[in-house]
Amino acid sequence: MKGTRDYHDIIGGTLMIAGGAWFSLYALNYNLGTLRRMGPAYFPLGIGVLVVLFGLLLVLPALRRPGGVPRPELRPFLAICAAVLAFALAVERAGLVPATLVLTALAAWAERAPDLRLTAILGLALSARAVLVFTQGLGIPIPAIRWSL
Amino acid sequence: MDIFANLALGFGEAFAPQTLLYCFIGVFLGTFIGVLPGIGALATISMLLPLTFYVPPTAALVMLAGIYYGAQYGGSTASILLNLPGTPSAAVACLDGYPMGQQGRAGVALLMTTYASFIGSSLGIIILTAFSPLLADVALSFGPADYFAMMLLGLVAAATLAQGSPVKGIAMVLVGLALGMVGTDVQTGQQRFTFDIPQLADGISLVALAMGLFGVAEVIASINRMGAGQKAKEKITLRSMVPTARDMMASTLPMLRGTGIGAVFGALPGAGATIASFMSYAIEKKVARDPSRFGKGAIEGVTAPESANNAAAQTAFIPTLTLGIPGDAVMALMLGAMIIQGIQPGPHLVTEHPELFWGLIASFWIGNIMLVILNLPLIGIWVKMLSIPYRILYPAILLFICIGIYSVNNSAFDILLVLIFGIVGYVMMLLRFEPAPLILGFILGPLMEEHLRRAMLLSRGDPAVFLERPISAGFLAVTFALLAWALVGLVRQQRAQRRAMVEAGP
Repeated sequence: MKGTRDYHDIIGGTLMIAGGAWFSLYALNYNLGTLRRMGPAYFPLGIGVLVVLFGLLLVLPALRRPGGVPRPELRPFLAICAAVLAFALAVERAGLVPATLVLTALAAWAERAPDLRLTAILGLALSARAVLVFTQGLGIPIPAIRWSL
Repeated sequence: MDIFANLALGFGEAFAPQTLLYCFIGVFLGTFIGVLPGIGALATISMLLPLTFYVPPTAALVMLAGIYYGAQYGGSTASILLNLPGTPSAAVACLDGYPMGQQGRAGVALLMTTYASFIGSSLGIIILTAFSPLLADVALSFGPADYFAMMLLGLVAAATLAQGSPVKGIAMVLVGLALGMVGTDVQTGQQRFTFDIPQLADGISLVALAMGLFGVAEVIASINRMGAGQKAKEKITLRSMVPTARDMMASTLPMLRGTGIGAVFGALPGAGATIASFMSYAIEKKVARDPSRFGKGAIEGVTAPESANNAAAQTAFIPTLTLGIPGDAVMALMLGAMIIQGIQPGPHLVTEHPELFWGLIASFWIGNIMLVILNLPLIGIWVKMLSIPYRILYPAILLFICIGIYSVNNSAFDILLVLIFGIVGYVMMLLRFEPAPLILGFILGPLMEEHLRRAMLLSRGDPAVFLERPISAGFLAVTFALLAWALVGLVRQQRAQRRAMVEAGP
């Protein structure tokens, strides 16, 4: 395709320039020290500057180079993120079994055609395994279900 | 000879029932995930890192190492049966392994890959055993400046020799170094980049970082790619696996050449098993009397790369164990596991923790023999596992990641950290950045800072010390040469692109 630039490196490089600049500036909150006796800011500052430099090295040539646009697969991305987030929120409040069920259910939506029956069976099987292996077997202190919400 | 006494110590350690059990778990899991496409050694080792908090150091490292070299054995199974590599280094095995399968010789291909793997690994272990103590002895005389220069070389080599653009590789190393800065500064006690979050005071958890980058991101990227499980049509019987005398004859020299290439590339930082196997295939094609047979089921095309990637998987431990310089992301995780256990990696490892060092090496022998047993008579089980659909696997993988990271500190915050790095990892994948150099930078960052500070303190702030010490000057010279070489390659590539554009234009 004509007219498209290599957006992979343009986006990546820009993120690096921004991140590196922020990192360097934030590092200046700490004591810089001298070359002989480096303070906590010295090394991070150097790295931050190098990150910016390499960000520029990525962006500048990419501006003049043809390439494509990254195509995220939103459905699996959102479903998996939601599943992990839900587990994190549920595990301490509700216990291992509800967290596992929520994770399995949300993760199933990552597929274009989720199989609900399979997901239900999988959720139950995984819950049982998780409780057996982790709570009973390894003694990890998460209750299977926390009744008092 | 000293080596035999040491190996005896090692075998004593490795034959302890608990170590033996973890060795078996490691190689079993390694074969399992090696066979299955869509989950790799990196993701699995990340997922099992939390276990290292519960298990003694030797057993933990034996298990993690077993996953790594076990995956090299299993990787070619899916290549041969489904034309779908189980691990990146087994991609080459598709080229001639799959045609062999089509010709009804899948059994022979599977047996020969196991045989080639065993030869490659065994010779790799011998090289590892012979060279590691020597290298560690040399490294004992290194000063802080030398260490800093060596780590710099390791990182630059890893970034420039690996696949993809060297600029992106170095960029990822730098981001890793930056992430490594988070936490309490060892020398002053200053909290850096922690934003008053108490969970960050000890730094970003390596487990969370690795699980996010390699586990969650890989799951997101694999769901649409994997689809439903595939059935291998053929039934593999023991009888169908018997190779002809010609197969064996034609494979002997290629396996030795492959082992040589693998041993060299494995020990180099950044190169590793995948490059070694591709290199070995290219060389076999070049030296073959009839190169046109390649791609149509030539047995050398399967056995040589297979020996190469297994030899590389063993020699990769040389720089990791003797210098504390990881060559690739898996080795970085191994170093991370050592640091978690409170073991300082570096040349002192051999003398201060001989039971760990030699126990690990002895376990490689035991593990490889277990792998031959697992792969030959039991091949039918692995072939069946290929039909497990990914839609059953990935929720289980996710759950394992979530519970695993939670169990480290019993903190839901760590799960959120995994989520954040999973998102970062997926974005990096979309933008075609490799996560492996990032992990290397993350592990080496704090060590580099410490050595740099110490070197500057000793030289009273005179940076010339890096050039005055011959060892450090040597490392820096090689680093500089690598950078120059990468730059030349980059300029040449851009010129070629521009020329191609001009020619394609009106």
